[in-house]
Amino acid sequence: MPAVAPELAPGAPTDLELMLGIQAEDPEALSQLYDRYNGILKALILRVVHNEAEADDLLQEIFMEIWNQAKNFSAQKGKPLGWMVTLARRRAIDGLRKKQAYARAGERLQNETEQQPDAWVHNATEEEITFSDTRILVRRVINTLPPAQQQAINLAFFRGMSQREIAAQTNTPLGTVKTRLELGLKKIYDGLKELRDEL
Amino acid sequence: MSFEEFQNRARLYVIGALEPEETEEFELARKNYGQRAEDLIVECYNLHEAFALSLRPEKSSDALKERLMSMVRARQSK
Repeated sequence: MPAVAPELAPGAPTDLELMLGIQAEDPEALSQLYDRYNGILKALILRVVHNEAEADDLLQEIFMEIWNQAKNFSAQKGKPLGWMVTLARRRAIDGLRKKQAYARAGERLQNETEQQPDAWVHNATEEEITFSDTRILVRRVINTLPPAQQQAINLAFFRGMSQREIAAQTNTPLGTVKTRLELGLKKIYDGLKELRDEL
Repeated sequence: MSFEEFQNRARLYVIGALEPEETEEFELARKNYGQRAEDLIVECYNLHEAFALSLRPEKSSDALKERLMSMVRARQSK
């Protein structure tokens, strides 16, 4: 199930070509990969740490890690963006925990989820929607989920919470959290597969 | 563990949402299902990409990129 990839300008190097360039220690390849994905990775990091300065520090560290660890990337194990997102998410969640900001973020999260149970879609405006076809397509799939399933996945993916932590955070039985995660992830997985098959 | 159950758990596994006792069972089943399991896990990691692409990109400063590229070039020259 390949995810729905953003469209590249004609003649632009593919992500894989840029990764191969980085593996060959070409700074220009890193520069291009940065230009292509810094916005997405920063959005992901910000979603975890909720702090602009920390997000910038982490973004810089993550791109240095991409440069240093590029030799560990293997196209057989997935696509470059997936590898970078996995790396960025792990670093952001580690950063959040190391800086012991978890409790503060938890309070902010509590307010956020009380005010906007479907927080995943809170930042979608007409202007933003026209910015990216890919985002529209992915969000269309995510938006088919009931808010409770979106919330459970949001807490697991963007906060790195376990099922028990989600249950405690949302005052929901553990079994219900598990069901919400399983059903929600299956719907997104199947939805993205259908989307890909249609394109 | 049936393969259907393994699929459900694989999606939880890639986002780190399995509880420790579930992870043990999952790893055991992963060994039993072999390459089929590995292929599925690779596919499930595409969820990471999709979740990131669902977000509105955030702007970073030009200074940040300049710092990054300076660090890279400094490392290269060592």
